[in-house]
Amino acid sequence: MPKWFSPAVLVCGLMFVVSPFVIANAPYESTMGLVQKIFYYHMPSAWMFLTASLICGVASARFLATGTARYDRTAWASAEMAVLFGLLTLVTGPLWARRAWGTWWVWDARITSSLVGWMIAWAYLILRRYGGPGSEKLAAGLALFGMANVPFIYVSVNYWRTIHPATTVVPTLPFSMGFPLLFCLTAFLMLFVLLMKLRVRVALEQSRLDDIYLALDEQRL
Amino acid sequence: MTTLIRMAAAVLIVTAGSASIRAREQAVPPPALPPLHLSIPSVAPGQVARERMLLLARAQPQQQEEFVPLDQLPPQERLPAAPLLVGAYAFVLLMLFGYLVSVSRRLTAIQREVDRLDADLKHNGRG
Repeated sequence: MPKWFSPAVLVCGLMFVVSPFVIANAPYESTMGLVQKIFYYHMPSAWMFLTASLICGVASARFLATGTARYDRTAWASAEMAVLFGLLTLVTGPLWARRAWGTWWVWDARITSSLVGWMIAWAYLILRRYGGPGSEKLAAGLALFGMANVPFIYVSVNYWRTIHPATTVVPTLPFSMGFPLLFCLTAFLMLFVLLMKLRVRVALEQSRLDDIYLALDEQRL
Repeated sequence: MTTLIRMAAAVLIVTAGSASIRAREQAVPPPALPPLHLSIPSVAPGQVARERMLLLARAQPQQQEEFVPLDQLPPQERLPAAPLLVGAYAFVLLMLFGYLVSVSRRLTAIQREVDRLDADLKHNGRG
């Protein structure tokens, strides 16, 4: 285990333990009340999901252009992050919507495109797992579509008719609501970096393991 | 001549007969047909539109006439926020913790395997 692992886990763990208390001190939103506090975990999850999809796309593009294995490992790790944080977004959103909108799910542009982005990340992982030799380039091509979907997800609430809050809500938050959001966002970002580094390390060690197996085979021959 | 007089008389009789039949037809209305009893009800065009409007009106929520306190709502219409909030937080924390444990276990297993194979490789190289 790398040296930075334990302190990083400790800091992230502390932030996540403290976060419910910070959120509890935030004022209630006027129309939704208590359930609106899901927002403080829902939005950072969604941002991490979009960030992971972007990193996956950029790393895949660089891998396709240069063929460097490092970018491929980064793309694979970020695809896993996209699946994880996308799942958190797509589960916490309906829990909030059930109380706020009276329904679990609405097929509007934001939610549907998020689901599509999440399924693209899943498709990437399935392709890498079962695609066989050469699947890394196919998966990289798929990741480009996942990246192209990100701006669409972000602006969809401003251009299409939807009941999902617009992107203009966050900048207008008062400090009492903005601070807990910033706190949670920092905690999620730190955890994202920690998980990402750890997952890239797994991919690196896996490639080392493959090299060793090849060397052993050559020795036997 | 006689033939001509007979033909003129025949024309007069036929003309007078047809004129009297036409006059009778105009005076007496035709007998009414019995009403049709089909399985599909015959409705006026305006009636369809009226029924659609009624259906739309019924689909609209009832206008609120008084405020009802939350505790007077029937139990199936009450939806407390706390279980949803706690559920969302618990799900996020469990998933993140689970993934962290899963990745660190994968890393530990691979590193152990790498160390073992590294030692084997060095041992075989010496031998």
